[in-house]
Formats: sequence, C-alpha cells, structure tokens
Amino acid sequence: MIDVEPVGSRAKRKELRSVTFRREREGQWQELDALVERALKKGLGTLSEPELRRLPVLYRAALSSLSVARRTAMDRALVDYLEGLAARAFLAVYGSRKGTRGALRRVLFEEFPRRVRALAPEMALSVFVTALGAVVAAALMKLDVGWYDAFVDPALAGGRDPNADSELLRGALYGEGTEMNGGMLSVFASSLFVHNAGIGMLCFALGFAAGLPTLLLLFTNGLMLGAFLSLYAERGMLFELVGWLLPHGIPEIGAIVICGAAGLHMGRAMIAPGRLTVPQSITAAGRRASFVVLGSVVLFAVAGLVEGLFRQLVTDDLVRYAMAAFNGVWFFAWLLLGGRRRRERGR
Amino acid sequence: MSEALADEPLPKGVLEVTGPEGVPLRFDAATVADRAVAYLLDLFVVGLTGIVLYVFGVFSTVFTGLAEPLALVIAAAWLVWKFYFIGFEVWWQGATPGKRMMGLKVISADGSGLTLEGIVARNLTRDLEVFLPLQVLLAPEQVLGDAPWWLALPTGAWMLAMNALPFVTRERTRAGDLIGGTRVVRLPKSALVRDEAVRHSQPPGAPTADVWTFTAAQLAIYGEHELETLADLLRDAETGKARPEDLRMVAQTIAQKIGFQGAAPHEDPRRFLRSFYEQQRAHLERQLLYGKRKASKLDSP
Repeated sequence: MIDVEPVGSRAKRKELRSVTFRREREGQWQELDALVERALKKGLGTLSEPELRRLPVLYRAALSSLSVARRTAMDRALVDYLEGLAARAFLAVYGSRKGTRGALRRVLFEEFPRRVRALAPEMALSVFVTALGAVVAAALMKLDVGWYDAFVDPALAGGRDPNADSELLRGALYGEGTEMNGGMLSVFASSLFVHNAGIGMLCFALGFAAGLPTLLLLFTNGLMLGAFLSLYAERGMLFELVGWLLPHGIPEIGAIVICGAAGLHMGRAMIAPGRLTVPQSITAAGRRASFVVLGSVVLFAVAGLVEGLFRQLVTDDLVRYAMAAFNGVWFFAWLLLGGRRRRERGR
Repeated sequence: MSEALADEPLPKGVLEVTGPEGVPLRFDAATVADRAVAYLLDLFVVGLTGIVLYVFGVFSTVFTGLAEPLALVIAAAWLVWKFYFIGFEVWWQGATPGKRMMGLKVISADGSGLTLEGIVARNLTRDLEVFLPLQVLLAPEQVLGDAPWWLALPTGAWMLAMNALPFVTRERTRAGDLIGGTRVVRLPKSALVRDEAVRHSQPPGAPTADVWTFTAAQLAIYGEHELETLADLLRDAETGKARPEDLRMVAQTIAQKIGFQGAAPHEDPRRFLRSFYEQQRAHLERQLLYGKRKASKLDSP
C-alpha cells in the first residue's frame, strides 16, 4: 500500500516520533549513565541511599526505552547507545547479590551440612570406594606383606614398613624418633592444612573429568589407609594406631570423602544429565557442590590443627580416644543436624 | 528468551543475557588474550602478597624465635592464593583488580545476579585448569608419573581439551565458568551521539523548515540500511570528516535514483541530504507503526 498524501508536509508539521521519544527521555538516560559510571568505577558503595533507590528505577526505564527503540527507532546510533547503557546498568544492578550480614555463618552452619546431606548417594559411593580400597589393601597384604610398598609411598611412610621392628612402629605413634621440637609444631600443622585442603579441592575439580580421577584418588587413599591398618594390626597395635589416627582422621578423612562426593556429583552430572543439557547439568551440580568444598576447607583446617599439635603433644591413648569421641560428636552433629531448623521454619 | 533479538544465530564472541525484566541484552565476551592478561596481573598481585607475607613471617620467626608467625604465614599465603579471586569477585561485584584494569566483568550466564556459589564454583578449578595442562605440556612425567600409555594419553588429552575450552566455545567459556554458570564479558561502552533529525540550531520541537518535499513514492525506495549510512555520512560532515564532494556525489546519486528534479542536490547537497534524511526517517518510522519494516532497498515492501 502506498500513501497518497504527500508525506513531507506532515513531517513538516510534526516533530519526528523518535525525536520526541529521545527528547523526553534523554535526561533520565544521562542520569542513569552517570550513576552507572560511578557504580562500576568506584563500587556500589559510593552511591548514596536515594541514588541506590533511583538506580533500579532508572534501569527499568532504560530497558523499556531500549525495547521501544529496538522496535521503532530508525536511528541506529540511538539504539546502540541504549544497548550499551542498558548492558552497563545491568552489570551495576545485577553485578552480584550484596553479601548480607552473616553470610559466612549461614554458608557454614546451614548450607554446608544441608548440601552434604543432599549428596547422600555420592557420599555413600565415596565412603564405599575408600573402604573398598582399605579392604583390598588389607586382603592383599594378608597374602603377601610385600604389597605394602605398592600402596604406601616410601617417602610418606618414613620407615614404617613391614621390615621395621615393632618398637619403631610403636614409637612413630608417640612422636619418638622425629626431629620435631615443640616450636615447629605449628608450622607442621599449617603445612598439613595447606597440603590436605589442596588435595580436597583437587578431588572436587577432578570431578570435571567425569569423576573418574576422583574415584581413583579416593581408592588410592583407601589403599593407603588399609595398608597402614593392616600393618599395625598384624603387630597387635591396632588399638594404639586407631587412637593415633582418629582424632584428626575424623575431620580429615571425612573432608576428603566429602570433597570426593562433590567431585562424584559433578561427574554424575556429566554422565547422566537427565532432562537438562550437559552444560546446564554441570552448572547446577557445580553450584550445589561449591559450598560443600568451602565447608571442607574448614574441616581441613581443624584436622591440620589436631594432627599438627594435639597428636604430637598428647600421647595418652585414653585422652586420644576421648578427643576422637569429641571430634566425632561435633562432626556428625554438624553434618546431620546443621541447617535443619531453618528449613522446618520455612515450611 | 521471550523476545529474541534476531532470528540469525549470534556471532561468535557475543552472548545474550536475559535479566529478570525479560529484555535480552548483548555483551561482548572477553577475549582469551584479555583474560590471560588480567589473570597475569592478578597473579602478580597474589605473588607479591605472598612474598611480602613470607618475608614478614621469616623475619618475625627469626627475631622472636617463635614458630607461630611462620605457621600463620604459611596458612595465610595459601588462603590468599586460593581465595583472592573469590574474595574480590564477591567484594567488587564480579571483578578482580586485574579484570578491572582490563575492563572485564564476571556475570551470571542466566541473567540472575552473580551468586556466591557461582563465584566459588568458578574459582575452585582455576589452578587445575591453568597449571596441570602446563605441566602436562612441559613436564608430563610429573603429572602422569609412570602411568601406562593407555592411561596417560587420555588423561593428558583431557587436560589439554579442558584448557582449550575458552578458545573453542562461542562464549569463551572456561571449565570454571561452565561449573559456576558464569561468563566473563567486556564492559560495554556507551556514548550518545547527536540525532541528525534534530535541527541543532533551533530550539527542540520547533517545526522544521523544509524547502524540498519528497513524495511517498520517492521515500519508498530506500530502507533502514541506507538511512543509517546516510546518518553516518551527515555525522561525518558535521565533524568535517566527509568532504563536500562526497556529499555532492551522494546527493546526486540519491536524486537520480528517486527521480528528484531540481538543482538542489548540486547546489546545497548538505541541506538536501538532511532534508531527505528527516523525511525518509519519518516515512520509515510511520510505516513501522503499520508493521512494515524495510531493512534495505533490496527489501520488497
């Protein structure tokens, strides 16, 4: 259809729609531009209270301008400007959710235990694989003690191998024969924390390879554990070894199992994404697992302190078992009970 | 995505994010080079902090004879190393010092706000992604040990593939971004240029005084693409980038194409073009209200 009326005459009488559109809104855009510039350069914190309230209002107005301009404006420069402005404002408004007070407490005492419980199947598999490693190691060592060297890195064993006499093995449990003087214990503790937490994070990150390396890592960890237990059991020192192992072992082995479960969760998300696409599934699993790893870092820190200080300073078996019981109580209470109350309130 | 911007797929390196308001916005994904430079800057800061901490720790230990300062420093340096990126991305709304210097920002791919869990997840794999592939390339025996070839080969290939992700994905997604559901974008620029349909010497809203009037048939020839080109030319003429001969040539071409009679295109090409631009734009905008869009002169309606 072609207009019969001369168009030019009408254009003469009236201002262009798009010109009016821009004239009416330009002030708002520029106000938003200035706010966003400051928010992005100096941080949202530099905006005053009324400015903070104004920002989302102006942002939504700019979005509506953009939607209109995309459909009706013939001035590409204007549309481009609004695209850029809206995108910048998006970054300022949705950059990140402001951390509320007590976010760390919420993550540690509510989110972390809740998410660990949600990983129950992966936790079960993680525990199973570790236990399987331990049983396999113990069984093989029953056949031939020479297997020990295959499971335990000689550098780590420090002479604690099947050829060592029982006195050396016993001494290792009570801090004899080590060059450690009291002063360096804290350094030992923090090195243990750093080393173990790094392994925990690796356990999770390796989940990105479909969880296979995570399984392998858990299994070898179990092998080492089993070889150790079997070695001491054979000499009739299982009670002493467990007393030595449990106080730090509960948080430490627990944290490795938990990080392993997080890695397995990600592997499962890759192999069996269900109704989601694989990238969507990985994202969902990764976000769920992230707090689990964060909480484990705290567990590793506690384990490092117990392993580096308590284990070296306290040599009484009964006190060690008491400490193990204490650690077991808070560890399981934290994981099993943490974060339940709020959920009930929410219902 | 209720309101997709275009029917054709997005070009590589551009991503579309729809916020809670339902309006899709476009961002340029940060290039691998930008991100690498930002990462190196951050590494420099982390490294420097670590060195300062260690020097402080060693000196304190030597002077006081206590081991505790060194122990604290070991733990602190590790925490800085692991939590530098998480901390800054939370604190600075998705930017670390390196990213800020390079004008980059982390956003949530689904358009909702960037969450703590997304930030944590994207940074947990960071070391694995950067250092393991490097080791695989430079010193494979350290990573793979004496693993048999059937184990070493797929492992090495997997690590290198993970490292190559940002090079091959359309939105330059690294593994951590995939896990955290995040993307890294370049801060968009926005500058408002003047509207060529407004007579800047006159108060806004004043009626425009056209000497030449074009008929509907004459305005039906060109489309949005040509209009846009003309607007750019007029802007260039304003800043002195376009020469008068260019304007004259364009004006004459247009006059010939639309069958315009008169000497105006030759005598005063700039005013002629401006006048044509205004009326062409008014025409196209009015047609758009009827639901008719003419993308270029090749478009039929």
